[in-house]
Amino acid sequence: MTSPGLAVPRAAAPTRWPDFSRPLAIIGMVIGWELLARLLAGSYILSGPIDILAYLLGNAGLMTRALLVTLEAAAWGFLWGNLAACGLALVALLLPRLQPLISGLALIFFCLPLVATGPILRVLYGTGTGPQVTLAALAVYYTTYLCLLVGLRAAPASWFDLVRTYGRGRMTELLRIRIFATLPYFLAGLQIAAPAAFLGAMVGEFTGAERGMGVLAIRAMRGLDVDATWALASVAAAVSMLAYGALGWIGRRLGSVPPALLMAPPPASGRSPLGLRLALPLAMGLLTLGVVVLLWQGSMDGLGLNRFFAKRPGDVFAFLFTDAQAAANRATLLSAFGATISLALPGYLLGLMLGAAMACAIVIAPALSTTMLPIAIALRSVPIITTAPLITLALGRGAAGTITIVAVMIFFPTLVACLEGLRRTPGQVIDVFESYAASPLRRLTGAQIPAMLPAFFASARMAIPAAFLAATTAEWLATGGGIGSLMAMTASTSAYGMLWSAIVLLALTASLLYLLAGQLEHLVLSRFASEQLVK
Amino acid sequence: MTSLLLPRRTFLSGGLGALGVMALGLPALRAQTLTPVALQLSWLHSVQFAGSYIAREKGYWRDLGLEVALNPGGPNAPVEPPVVSGQALVGISAADYTAAAVEQGAPFKIIAVAMQKNPFVIASLPANPVNTPADLVGKRIGMALANTPVLQALCTINGVDINAIEIVPTQYDAAPLLANQVDCLLCWETDLPVAMAIQGVESVTMLMADHGYAVHSQTYIATDDSLANRRDQIVALMKGEVMGWNDYKADTAAATDLTLAAFPDQGLDRATQLMQAERQVPLMFSDLTDANGFGWFTEETVAQNIETLALLGRTVTPELWDRSILEAVHGG
Amino acid sequence: MAAEPRDRPPPEVRCQGLAKTYGDAGGALMALSTTDLVFEAGRTTALVGPSGCGKSTLLRLIAGLESPTTGSVEIGGESPLAVRKRAGLAMAFQDASLLPWRTVRGNVALALQLGRMPSDGEAVDRLISLVGLDGFEDSRPSQLSGGMRQRAAIARCLVTEPGLLLLDEPFGAVDELTRLRLNQDLPRLWEKRGTTTILVTHSITEAVLLSDRVLVFSARPGRVVADIPVALPRPRSRDSLEHPRFRMITDQVSAALMEGWQADAAQ
Repeated sequence: MTSPGLAVPRAAAPTRWPDFSRPLAIIGMVIGWELLARLLAGSYILSGPIDILAYLLGNAGLMTRALLVTLEAAAWGFLWGNLAACGLALVALLLPRLQPLISGLALIFFCLPLVATGPILRVLYGTGTGPQVTLAALAVYYTTYLCLLVGLRAAPASWFDLVRTYGRGRMTELLRIRIFATLPYFLAGLQIAAPAAFLGAMVGEFTGAERGMGVLAIRAMRGLDVDATWALASVAAAVSMLAYGALGWIGRRLGSVPPALLMAPPPASGRSPLGLRLALPLAMGLLTLGVVVLLWQGSMDGLGLNRFFAKRPGDVFAFLFTDAQAAANRATLLSAFGATISLALPGYLLGLMLGAAMACAIVIAPALSTTMLPIAIALRSVPIITTAPLITLALGRGAAGTITIVAVMIFFPTLVACLEGLRRTPGQVIDVFESYAASPLRRLTGAQIPAMLPAFFASARMAIPAAFLAATTAEWLATGGGIGSLMAMTASTSAYGMLWSAIVLLALTASLLYLLAGQLEHLVLSRFASEQLVK
Repeated sequence: MTSLLLPRRTFLSGGLGALGVMALGLPALRAQTLTPVALQLSWLHSVQFAGSYIAREKGYWRDLGLEVALNPGGPNAPVEPPVVSGQALVGISAADYTAAAVEQGAPFKIIAVAMQKNPFVIASLPANPVNTPADLVGKRIGMALANTPVLQALCTINGVDINAIEIVPTQYDAAPLLANQVDCLLCWETDLPVAMAIQGVESVTMLMADHGYAVHSQTYIATDDSLANRRDQIVALMKGEVMGWNDYKADTAAATDLTLAAFPDQGLDRATQLMQAERQVPLMFSDLTDANGFGWFTEETVAQNIETLALLGRTVTPELWDRSILEAVHGG
Repeated sequence: MAAEPRDRPPPEVRCQGLAKTYGDAGGALMALSTTDLVFEAGRTTALVGPSGCGKSTLLRLIAGLESPTTGSVEIGGESPLAVRKRAGLAMAFQDASLLPWRTVRGNVALALQLGRMPSDGEAVDRLISLVGLDGFEDSRPSQLSGGMRQRAAIARCLVTEPGLLLLDEPFGAVDELTRLRLNQDLPRLWEKRGTTTILVTHSITEAVLLSDRVLVFSARPGRVVADIPVALPRPRSRDSLEHPRFRMITDQVSAALMEGWQADAAQ
């Protein structure tokens, strides 16, 4: 087990470029952006920094008010989502037997598609900012929960022995050790969560809000107001980057070393016989599903929601299996789902591969990092609702557009995670390669790529819900096919049976793929980085 | 409920206490006499619903004893569910949406029709115009795939082979037309063509309603239950609507300014809103409404709707429409 | 709960029929075979033996961090749990196990907090000074060298003035020279009080230099193969290394280790 705090700082920092290269690269990028915008003038695709600045100055009051509204919803969602994550992680820690169930439920709720949950939340809450806050909370709680789950266990056994030599129990462990040991992980989770909360709040405004950035974004896109669209995207990106940076700064102020981006799921069982090892997750999965069905039925009945739109598990089952049109319903749903998968999967793989490849390229040619990393961090923060139409406009509305949108959503987090992984190659291993004057390529394939694998697989797992989010959002907002558009069509067709069926199918698929990726990750980690498995 | 107790307490206590209670009690008393109801709009706030804003701002509803909340819609906002669940007394839907909801078991009636003519148009650029349905042959049309039945219906009515048209799925945005990715767009008369005009791009629009596509739009819907038990409130709500929309027709510029003033945070552009307000007028007002009043429909227009809805795959009966509210509004 | 009366005499530690087996019937691993031992009050005992011989297990059983498969441990007539609850023992680990987010002062004070004792800034600073960390009170562990971290860990052990000190290879992770210096400086701090001390170590020199008695363990399953008294005058210093008897005793310990190893190999 590695402890983040005790790691001896590496003496030799990697070769640093002179300090002014990064600002220069950023200035260069801004100029390139402006030039590109000039080049595309008249095509209503892209605005340059100058026009955006002019728009912001001219509409400062409006933008500030909208930003404050959305920011407030995002902040509440951020707070509630992270509190929920803390609560769940605590329960999972104190009642370890419940942990698989809690993790399963948390995953399923996280995989619910935004397009579908939005309108349902609007009906639940009526008017107000309830849906915005809830969608923001839903967008953040799972990543934080995962970080906490690892962080709360990320302490060497001797720290707990120390507590026990004074006759103190689990409560003291929690208050004196775990809470502090988990802080770097918690902050890393919050950093991931901040942009997600903002996106959640914006999409929440699509469900019928009085004001806010999302409202302005719809208006700008419909009104061909490219300057406004990009001004909104820029503000959203800036807010996300500021939050990201601020949380990183707080972390450094607290003296916490950022942890490795490893979020391996805790193994199901250690020494139990093979049969039990297979049967246990299966039983846990069935139990989780049972609890989901009960929660679903119970909440709908408890809130007294009308069956017209608030379908129950039985309604979905009937819709798909026992109704007169069940076969036709299934065919519609599955063909739309197939269309989505056929684009989401290539986009997912492409994004992962490109992310890892770019990380490797940066390691071989470090000069690339001064330009690539700021772009990566900036673009990661631009809300997908503004990038999706841009990409389809640039690449057309066929498969290429959607695949690219999915790939872009996955590329940047993968790149950042893989770079982090590459950087964690043990210095002594590098020294061994150096002592044989090995070429950078050999060093990469022999030492650094194996060291990167844990981070790569962690991001491959986290990317699965993101891929579904990107694909369905692209279909909903831009390309108009697949299951995303099937769900969005409900607004005009009132086909709520189809909507709920789509939710169930998407959440189940995403959860299953996620677990599958977790197993694969576990396999690879036990081979390449057994010390990183959470014990 | 506290407000019910206030008058008694005012009588019982004297002097300064009574003054204080009265000062606090007055707004409470007035609020008590107004019945809070909600009208669920079908889109974000804009002049599309200016008649409702006039009714609210000029106090038409207040005078009728209603406190009306105008709940905005959006691209991912439900309209029919809040009406079914009773959160909204009346919702703004469209005949085809309402028909679909009724098919799914929603107990709706259409009680008034704001857009006599369906606002769907085929928008194109003057260099390559679509003036009649026949011009669609060989063109690339950008639209949401979900709207394929709409195009199918237009083609059937006008004897055009839909297979001769290339459908390109697009988001609801004029950019694909300007980027020459498509030759024409299926959109509303009042949104994308207006956006293009404001950007200085002239466009040609062919109103589908002029070519046999008869689907009531911006229809007011209410549930059977509300029609039976909250009839007075619905009549009052629609009375205010009619008064608001009559004012709107009389002065669209004033209606636009009132909308802009009421919603400073919506990012509304005056020129855009004014043009939209003007383009809405011929869709909402006709000889029929001049003769019978705003929102009116007849057996004849209903029959045309039933025919077009059948082409859209929706089987409905004339019972979907209920004119009794309008009759009460315009009669009383 | 009352704090440990600081003048309580150091306890005697009795292990009766103590054994520890890990795992279930299928893949059982015997870490420590049945052992009867008495650690005299106020004396220092060193446990030496090859890796995995159960000497650390014995230490953890005495501390009550693990429960024995059979047998029992009594510390001055009390159970390990009762002793732990009144902060009657302290343990040092191979890695200093300092909390990285606390300063040296905070880490030393942690023992008082865990032991439910009143905070005593003077005592904390006095101990930091005694282990030679003056001027580093507000440093964080990451700013200290390995030897300095071990000094801080020892200060943390001693600040509660425990009657029983359990040291699990406390100097195992530092270089030879530093170890020698720590061996000279630190034991004085507890020898003066006559604390009962049990020390696990890999270093024969360290074992003989610090203890009154060396117990040699054989490899798995661990059992005591030799019990060697160390009759060297105290206080000990570098000069003790030159004492003729010192060489004699270390040779004795080496021979016992080799014997245990050969006995294992013969099995």
